[in-house]
Amino acid sequence: MMEPHLSFQRQNGMSSTDPQSTTNDAAQNAGAAAPQVRATTDQSSDPGDRAETRPDPAGPGHRVSVADLRAFYGTTEAVKGININFPAHEVTAIIGPSGCGKSTMVRCINRMHEEIPGAHATGKILLDDQDVYAPDVDVTAVRRLIGMVFQKPNPFPTMSIFDNVASGMRLTGNKGDNMRERVHKALRAVGLWGEVKNRLNSPGVGLSGGQQQRLCIARTIAVEPEVILMDEPCSALDPVATLKIEELIDELKEQYTIVIVTHNMQQAARVADSTVFMLDGGVVEHGLTNDIFTTPKDERTERYVTGKFG
Amino acid sequence: MQETRSNYRESLRVLERQTLEALDMVVQGLDRALEAVSYQDVELAGMVVADDDRIDGRYLEVHQGILSLLALQTPVATDLRIVAALLHVIRHAERMGDQCVNIAKLLPLSGYEAPKDKDLLDAIERMGQLARSQVSQSKQAFADRNAELAYDLLRQDAEINQLNIDIFNRALAIGDDIETREWAMHMILVARCLERIGDNAVDIGEQTAFVVTGLFREFADASHPG
Repeated sequence: MMEPHLSFQRQNGMSSTDPQSTTNDAAQNAGAAAPQVRATTDQSSDPGDRAETRPDPAGPGHRVSVADLRAFYGTTEAVKGININFPAHEVTAIIGPSGCGKSTMVRCINRMHEEIPGAHATGKILLDDQDVYAPDVDVTAVRRLIGMVFQKPNPFPTMSIFDNVASGMRLTGNKGDNMRERVHKALRAVGLWGEVKNRLNSPGVGLSGGQQQRLCIARTIAVEPEVILMDEPCSALDPVATLKIEELIDELKEQYTIVIVTHNMQQAARVADSTVFMLDGGVVEHGLTNDIFTTPKDERTERYVTGKFG
Repeated sequence: MQETRSNYRESLRVLERQTLEALDMVVQGLDRALEAVSYQDVELAGMVVADDDRIDGRYLEVHQGILSLLALQTPVATDLRIVAALLHVIRHAERMGDQCVNIAKLLPLSGYEAPKDKDLLDAIERMGQLARSQVSQSKQAFADRNAELAYDLLRQDAEINQLNIDIFNRALAIGDDIETREWAMHMILVARCLERIGDNAVDIGEQTAFVVTGLFREFADASHPG
């Protein structure tokens, strides 16, 4: 039998081997090597200080390992048995042509893939040493720990700026403790505070596209995940908004492990520490971004990054 | 499969062709400079000096083309290595053109009827042939992406370096006639120019190896010989 899931255990469905393994208790009981689940009520640092938006900045961090992952839409195999390690506090870019399985792979990491009717996945996704797909894992806890930012900014249309950021916390069970401070911190962390502080009650959709995407990133980090998945986060944005998001990604990796899917190879080159090139549901090459864009080892990578693919 | 980015690919091909043509211009300039040395032809030497403007112009053209390509097309991987290498190669071509000019400018200093020493002149001509062969070979190796052929330049360069030393020693022992000694001193300088052309050819060979392997390393390190 596997170890109790410190981070993912259902709060009201705990393992008989560890009656204390609720999310918050787990944080207190976790050993040095176990993932630290941030308690949701200990936000006491100065909200004005951007570096203090997390209680445990730049800790050891959390890695994600994908092992022999296969993902299906019905009988169609979109991801064909891949293995990738995403190191902690690093940005890993996934590049590859449309239909290569990169978005599907990323959506498996926080179990979004299974939401599609007929879709399923096999293999293992480990957050540190905990299997995201283990039977007793709470999917909501997975998605709190592994946040996601989508291609098109998707603020909730009926909600204010404040409520948009707070919504993630509310959905994951936060009862409102320090809600205000945490929303403010998240908005500061994404560099949006100065632009919205006087209109927090205005609709989120009233912001520009770039601001909306930063709002969505604020919503993601407000629940204090360990990992942030980004699926084409800048494809709907203008170049200036794109560069702001890229700058933000660079800052966020101090706190989070980041995986970004992008069609924009120059974006991968600018933001990612390492880059994975996927093709036809498999990983062709995974290396340091600098190596992928100067001396790729595989001829198919060479052809793709130099634009000879097509 | 249909070629993608066809304009970009064509620009890259044109830049490489223009760069390698500059090496042809060097060979042409070198041939004339060597003929001028052999026959003490001061008029021909003057043409070598004037013709160097073509190589300088080509350098500017390729340099500007590479800047545009970097800005507009963002080459990566092998393409990026080729572009970076071309920037070096065109620079070396321009330097070799300057060495031909240096040779040509030495000739009038000895006058129209300079005394000559056959042994010394033979050595200069042999050195010139080797330098010419090196420039041609460096071009061929780059065009064919042939790292072995590039590395072979080092073998020829060793012979050039030895001839350079031989010429120096011969000039020292050339005798007491002042005009002959003066000519011999000028030949030492010509030999030095040819030796530098050989070095530039080896540098182009290093760029070829870089394009092929992705790793840059000097074939020979002058500061740490052996």
